[in-house]
Amino acid sequence: MSRTAAIGWAAGVAALAVLPFAVRNVFLLHVVILVFMWTVLGAAWNVLGGFAGQVSFGHAALFGIGAYTTIILFLKAGVAPWWGILAGGVAAAVGSVPVGLICFRLRGPYFSLATLAVAELAKLVALNWEWLTNGPVGFLITTLPPLSLFGHPVDWEAKAPFYALAALLMLVALGSTAWLSRSRLGAFLVAIREDEDAAEAVGIDTVRAKVLTLALSGFLAGLGGGFYAFYFRYVDPDAVLNIGLSMEMVFIAMVGGLGTVAGPFIGAVFLTTIGEAVREHFQVGHLIFYGLFMMIVIRFLPEGIWGRARLAWARGRTGARRHGAA
Amino acid sequence: MALLECEGLTRLFGGLRAVGSLSFEVGAGEIVGLIGPNGAGKTTVFNLITGFLRPSSGSIRLDGREIAGLKPHEVTRRGVARTFQIVKPFPGLSVRENVTLAAFLRHRSRGDAESEADGVLDRVGLAHRADARAGELTLMDQKRLEMAKALATAPRVLLLDEPMGGLNPSEVDVASAIVLKVRQAGVTVVLVEHVMKAIMRISDRVVVMHHGEKIAEGPPASAVRDPAVIAAYFGHRAA
Amino acid sequence: METLVQSLVSGLLTGSLYAMIGIGLTVVFGVMRIINLAHGEMVMLGMFAAYFSQKLWGIDPFVSVLAWAPLMFLFGMLLYRTLLRKVVPGGELNTLLYTAGLSLLVANLALFAWTGDYRTINLPYGLTPMRPFGIAVPAALAIGFALAVAITGALWAFLNRTDMGRAIRATSQNREAAVLMGVDVERVAVVTFGLGTALAGAAGVLLAPSLYLYPTVGELLVVKSFVIVVLGGLGSVPGAIAGGLLLGVVESLGAVYVSATYKDGLGYVIFLLVLLYRPAGLFGVGKS
Repeated sequence: MSRTAAIGWAAGVAALAVLPFAVRNVFLLHVVILVFMWTVLGAAWNVLGGFAGQVSFGHAALFGIGAYTTIILFLKAGVAPWWGILAGGVAAAVGSVPVGLICFRLRGPYFSLATLAVAELAKLVALNWEWLTNGPVGFLITTLPPLSLFGHPVDWEAKAPFYALAALLMLVALGSTAWLSRSRLGAFLVAIREDEDAAEAVGIDTVRAKVLTLALSGFLAGLGGGFYAFYFRYVDPDAVLNIGLSMEMVFIAMVGGLGTVAGPFIGAVFLTTIGEAVREHFQVGHLIFYGLFMMIVIRFLPEGIWGRARLAWARGRTGARRHGAA
Repeated sequence: MALLECEGLTRLFGGLRAVGSLSFEVGAGEIVGLIGPNGAGKTTVFNLITGFLRPSSGSIRLDGREIAGLKPHEVTRRGVARTFQIVKPFPGLSVRENVTLAAFLRHRSRGDAESEADGVLDRVGLAHRADARAGELTLMDQKRLEMAKALATAPRVLLLDEPMGGLNPSEVDVASAIVLKVRQAGVTVVLVEHVMKAIMRISDRVVVMHHGEKIAEGPPASAVRDPAVIAAYFGHRAA
Repeated sequence: METLVQSLVSGLLTGSLYAMIGIGLTVVFGVMRIINLAHGEMVMLGMFAAYFSQKLWGIDPFVSVLAWAPLMFLFGMLLYRTLLRKVVPGGELNTLLYTAGLSLLVANLALFAWTGDYRTINLPYGLTPMRPFGIAVPAALAIGFALAVAITGALWAFLNRTDMGRAIRATSQNREAAVLMGVDVERVAVVTFGLGTALAGAAGVLLAPSLYLYPTVGELLVVKSFVIVVLGGLGSVPGAIAGGLLLGVVESLGAVYVSATYKDGLGYVIFLLVLLYRPAGLFGVGKS
C-alpha cells in the first residue's frame, strides 16, 4: 500500500489505542462506541452497495440474523461474546447466500425492491416463529458472564471492553473493505458496476462475484448485529429487523462516500454524533435530522463527504503538478 | 471435426422464429462471414452461441463438446469470445484497465494480467492510448478496444459483431488487417458484417441468413451471386 | 360461501383505494423513472388532512377530498420543482435515496408535530353498514370506493382525451420520441408528479375513515404500493388498478382463510414471485 495509506492506518490504530485513556466521559465513550458500530454497518452495506453497485434495502435482515444468533448462543449455550459475535457474522454470511441467489437474478430497482420484501419477510418470521426467536418478546441479557481475557477479569459494566470490541470490529470491517478494493474480486465488481453484460462476456462469473461480496457484506453486518446484542443486551424483531435500520446503513455509506474505504467511518461520525446530540437535547426527532441530512448530501455532495474530499484532493494534486512542472 | 458447429439451432420469441433450424460449421483457422439482410437473426445467433440467450432447441458444440445453454462467462472460459455490435467498454476505466480485466481470466496475478493486456493493446494498435479513459475514445479506437478485450481472454474462436459499422473506408482497411493478423495468430473468426468490401476481402467462406434460416453457403464470390441471396437482399425482381 | 363473497367485496373496496395509491406511484415511474419512496407519506398527509379538517372544522372527508386533491396536486408540483428537479439528473439511485430521505423527514416531522397516537375518524353514518344483497358493506368504504371509481374515471378521461394527458402517455412510452415530437417533457414531469401526489393524497383522504391513522403509516403503505405496481407492471395504469384490486382481495381472503398475521407475508411472497418470474407484471405490460 502507499506510504500515505500506511501512515493513515498506523495513526488511526494509535489513536484508537489512546482514546479510551484520554476520554473519560461515559456519554462520549458511548457515542464513540456507537460510531464504531455504525462504521461496521455502513462498511457492510458499502461492500455490496458501493463496490458491487447492488442497492439493498434489506440489510437489517443480516444485522438481525447476527444479533439473534449471538444472543441465542449466549442465553441458551453460554457462548462467550467474542465467539458469539463471530458466529453471528458467519450465520449472517451463510443466510445471505440463498437471498443473493434469489435476488441477484434481478437488476437495478427490482433488486432493491426484492431485498425490501425479503427483509420484511424476515421480520414476520421473527415475530411469528416463537420457538426460535421468542416472537415479539425477544431476548434479554440480564447478566454478562464473568470472563477474563489474558488473566484480567472483564468488567462488563464499564465501557472499556465494549470499546475494545467495537474498535476491533471496526478495524476488521475497514480492513476487509481495503482488501476488497485492491483484490481481483474488487476489480471484477468495478467491471460489473460499469457494464454487467460486458463483464460476463470477458469471462467474469458475475453471479459468483456478487454472492461472494454479499457474503462478506452479510458477515460484517452480522458482526455488527452480534455486537449490538451484547452492548444493548436486548433483541426483538422491532429493534433489529426494522426497515429504519436498513435505511440508516444506506445513509451512512452514502453520506460518507460510496465505494471508498474511509467513507463509512466519516458517515458514521457525522450521522451518529449529531444524531445523538439531537437526541440528547430534543429527545425526539433525530430521524428528522437524518432525513434532512440525507437529502442535503445527495443534492449537494452526491459522492459523499469523503468522496468529495478525495476528489478535491486529487484535483488539487493534478493542478499542483501542472503548475509545478511548468 | 469442425471447431465450432451449430446443429438445428432454433430460437423462438413467442410466435417469432428468430433463428430456425440453423446448421453450420466453422473449421479451425477459418474466417467465416455471417451475412444477411437486417433482421435475419445474425446477432441472435451470436447471442445464442455466447450464452446471452438460451436456444429453444438445437445444439452448439465447441471441439465436440456441447456449449448451448452455458452462461456467458463459462462460454468465454471455454474459448469463445465476442465483441458487441454497439461497443460495450467499461467507460469509467482506462483502456489498460479494461483489457486487464479480461486478461484476469487466464492470468491470476495483476502483474501478469497487465503485461498480457499491454501485449494485446500493442497488437490492436492501442498501446499509445493505454491510459486514456475508455469512454472518451474515438469510434475506431473503441472498436480496437472491443477487440482487445475479447482477445485478452485468449479465445480459440472470436465472434465479431459488425466490427466495421460506422468506420470510413480507410478505417475498414485497418480493421480488416487486424482481423487477418488475429487469424494468423491462430484464432478462428466468425464475423457478422454488412460492409461487403470487408467480407469479400477477408472471409474464406460466408453463411447467408434470411428470416432466421440459412439460405446459402460458400466462398463469398459465388454466394453473393446466388439468386436466393440476391432475392433476400434486393427482392425477387432483382434476382 | 357468504364469507367468501363478503371478503371478496371487502377486498375489492379496499383494493380500489390501494389502486389509486398504486396509480400515483406507477405514473410517476412511467414518466420520470422515479421510484418515489416518499409516496406513502403523501397518503399519510392526505389522511391527516382529512382528520384535521373533520376534527377542527367538521367537514366530512368525502367532501373535503374535493379541496384536498387539488391542494395535494399543487403540493406535488411544488415538491418536484423545488426539491426533486435538481436531483433527478444525478441518476436513479440518487433519486431513490433522496426520496428515502424525504420520506424519513416527512414521517418524522409528522411524528413530532402530531405524536404517534393512533387516531380514527368516526363518521356518524359509518356505524351501521349498508346491506346490499345481504352483504355487510361499511358505508365509509362504499362511498370511498364510489369516489375512487369517479376519480379514476376522471383520470382516464384526462389521460386519453386531453393534450396534456396524451403528452404524459407519450413521454411514458418513449421519452426521446416525445421530445422530438415537441412535447415539453419538463412540464409533463411537473404535472405528473403533481398528479401522483394528488392521487396519493386523495386516496389517503378516502381511506382515513376506514383505517387507523398514525404518522408512520407511510412505511407500510409504500411497500404495499410497490407490490401493487410490480404486480401490475411498472408504468401501467390499468396494471396498477388490477394490482390494487388483486392485493386488496388477496389480503382480505388471506386474513380470513390463511391467517391474520401472515396476510402481509402473503403479499411479499407474491411480490417476490412476480419479480422473479414475471418482472413485467402479471399482465406483461410493465417496463424494465
